[in-house]
Amino acid sequence: MSDVAQALVKEGYKYGFITEIDEDRAPAGLNENVIRFISTKKGEPQWLLEWRLGAFRRWQRMQEPKWANVHFAPIDYQAASYYSAPKQKATPKSIDEVDPELLKTYAKLGIPLHERAALAGVAVDAVFDSVSVATTFKDKLGELGIIFCSFGEAVREYGDLVRQYLGSVVPQGDNFYAALNSAVFSDGSFVYVPPGVRCPMELSTYFRINAAKTGQFERTLVIADRGAYVSYLEGCTAPQRDENQLHAAVVELVALEDAQIKYSTVQNWYPGDAEGKGGIYNFVTKRGACRGARSKISWTQVETGSAITWKYPGCILEGDDTVGEFYSVAVTNNHQQADTGTKMIHLGRNTRSTVISKGISAGKGQNTYRGLVRVQPNAANARNYTQCDSLLIGQKCGAHTVPYIEVRNPMARVEHEATTSKISEEQMFYCRSRGLSQEDALSLIVNGFCKEVLKELPMEFAVEAQKLLSVSLEGSVG
Amino acid sequence: MAAIKAEAVPYRDAFRANPAEPAWLVDARAKSLAAFGERGFPSRRDEAWRFTSTRPLAENFFVPVRRDLAVTANEDTDFGKLGFEGPAYRLVFANGIVRALPSKLPPGLWLGSMSQAISERPEAAEFAISEIDLGGTQPFASLNAALFADGFVFDLDEGVALDRPIEIVHLGKSALPTSIYLRNSVRIGAGSEATVIETYVGQGAYWDNVVTNIAVAEGASLTHIKLQDESREAVHFASARISLGWSARYRNFGLTLGANLSRNDIQVLLGKGAHANIAGAYLQRGDQDTTNAVVIDHAEPDATTQELFKGVLDERSHGAFLGTIRVREGAQKTDAKQTSRALLLSDRASVNIKPELAIFADDVKCTHGAAVGDLDKDALFYLRARGIGVDEARRMLIEAFLLETIDTIESPEVREHLARQVRRWLAAEKA
Repeated sequence: MSDVAQALVKEGYKYGFITEIDEDRAPAGLNENVIRFISTKKGEPQWLLEWRLGAFRRWQRMQEPKWANVHFAPIDYQAASYYSAPKQKATPKSIDEVDPELLKTYAKLGIPLHERAALAGVAVDAVFDSVSVATTFKDKLGELGIIFCSFGEAVREYGDLVRQYLGSVVPQGDNFYAALNSAVFSDGSFVYVPPGVRCPMELSTYFRINAAKTGQFERTLVIADRGAYVSYLEGCTAPQRDENQLHAAVVELVALEDAQIKYSTVQNWYPGDAEGKGGIYNFVTKRGACRGARSKISWTQVETGSAITWKYPGCILEGDDTVGEFYSVAVTNNHQQADTGTKMIHLGRNTRSTVISKGISAGKGQNTYRGLVRVQPNAANARNYTQCDSLLIGQKCGAHTVPYIEVRNPMARVEHEATTSKISEEQMFYCRSRGLSQEDALSLIVNGFCKEVLKELPMEFAVEAQKLLSVSLEGSVG
Repeated sequence: MAAIKAEAVPYRDAFRANPAEPAWLVDARAKSLAAFGERGFPSRRDEAWRFTSTRPLAENFFVPVRRDLAVTANEDTDFGKLGFEGPAYRLVFANGIVRALPSKLPPGLWLGSMSQAISERPEAAEFAISEIDLGGTQPFASLNAALFADGFVFDLDEGVALDRPIEIVHLGKSALPTSIYLRNSVRIGAGSEATVIETYVGQGAYWDNVVTNIAVAEGASLTHIKLQDESREAVHFASARISLGWSARYRNFGLTLGANLSRNDIQVLLGKGAHANIAGAYLQRGDQDTTNAVVIDHAEPDATTQELFKGVLDERSHGAFLGTIRVREGAQKTDAKQTSRALLLSDRASVNIKPELAIFADDVKCTHGAAVGDLDKDALFYLRARGIGVDEARRMLIEAFLLETIDTIESPEVREHLARQVRRWLAAEKA
């Protein structure tokens, strides 16, 4: 490795600071009392407590999934605390009452929490450790009937809606991590867009893990009613710590007739240091249901962070003529491991899905695309196109592709293509001979490789994602 | 003693040690039987068997055929239409026991039965049972090692180019469920060239369990053809393990027409600069079910692989293709390409495809492509516009779709032989 590259490797993760703040936290360990504690803290109705306990009882009988191509020391689920909240005197009525330390943290992260930063034009729900600390632009959205609030608030204010949709896409016992989340989830975001309303701004959640020895278990529920449209962004960071922290989130999307949901994620949890010490275990279940005819759900993700990523955002194409999309860039550098992909389940007629996955492995990273395209017997004229490309940088990394194709209808057309390549010396030489530095050349080539995915991101995010890609890969050539 | 799975019990009880066999073989059989007993039948929970149901095997006990069992198959009439028409060195097996050997062999070629090789050519027999369990995913290969009665052994010296193919014909015939175990060994000396054609045909309910170990030495070339047209009540499981030396070439083509349930496991380990071309076509109807599982292991640099599999599935049939390409650390300049396509001709047919890449080296070119669909409507329209009836047009398109796989074979006689079988299957369509 060149000196420049070495120096860049050391630059590392710039969101790794810790905020000193008083917190409320549950004692370490997980049992029914802890779940009752969380539920009481949040003032939840009885049905939700029972739902949590049901999930917990299922979780106790479940085994951690072993099939993913990731390796890590066993997790002691009893060692972590399942609830941590920054201490506040009372629920803040406006943004001015929020603890200034918190606001400073978000300022450092570049999140325009303050409504004065309205120019950014993004409504933000910020989740700090376990609870939502502030939601902006609420009034403006309220005028259109759009609900955008923390999950806790939604349970209090819109209990019926939550009850109707919670667990309808990702059931309590869906998988080990989803069951854990269903039992202990602390907060998250809730979005409801009423019929025919096009949400005028991007909605965004910013997740931040701050406290040590905690996990983060947020839950997001987005419902687009008939003919509605919403674009939702999600970003995340965490402090740099030597221990591994668990992040097990659940995201459920429901699109009714003619509705569209666009869900974008830039995931930049702390990936661990160059030796693979520390970092977030990102075990996330994300799924969208295209319930109504002609609805559309589109997932876009840029995964640069986390020590381990285990995540398969999927679409259940129930309605006729529904569309599912998945665009992904996953980067693994140093000792990062990612096993990610999508599931497209075609149930309705004329359903279409597109999967574009770009995996980049550098250092000792291991990157796996794992995907399922299933066409059920009634899904006449279903159409899928899948493309997964891997880019290898260096000789110690690995790239893996594990797609499953299951077709039970003769009128379906399913196409899958995968390629693996490296950055060619010719490409490098061409860029270098035009005066680009090695790092800039790499960044240019990688951004070109990911272009098809990055163009799906809303603009503010695309810029951030491009920068992240460059930072994540610094020091990987030379 | 370790616990034994219930489904393995009758097979264990059917096992009789043969004191006439050499000690190493007696020992290997006992160990294999114990391994199978512990493992039992694979289930859909085993990743490699996710798409293959072993239910037809679990429902019945298939009594293992022994050497002393009487065989009544008539080798001349029962496979008439399937035999290779050109000249060949032919070996015929009936219910897994050798029945006919070629009379005259050229110098440098040893071709005979496994039972004969155990005493006369023990190193070939030992090779055939070496590395029996392929990573725990092939319990039936362990069962085979325990119970095999015969098989073929094909040894070719260095620098010999055979003038005609070796033809191995297997006839299965049984009124009651029986299981037939064949253990084969193929070793091609440096710089030699050969073609092997295996044909499987039969009547009744039997289970063919075939394991073949193949070594192709440096610079040698082997073409390996398999035509499987077993009885529609039969189960056919075949597992081949091939290791290729420096710059060796191996071409494998399998045509799957018969059996109620069938599975081909092909594992290829490539040495430096070796080339493998693995192709197959599967044509199924009724309630037939077939799986092709291919693992290509690029262990050293500069090797190349081409894979092409095509399936045509009618009525309630099911097909699966699992293709793994592994490139180990240091296997730079690997070039591997895999293509898998399937046509579904009926509402109730289904297919599963799982192409998999596992890559640990950066300077490689690996691609896989998979497609599932119906016949091209434009092509169909084009043919019909020229006055060709819809059935005939469909047949033409399906034939063209399948022949691409056969075109990977060099010998025109062998190509024609296989194309004829494809046409025969298509002509029987909707019969």
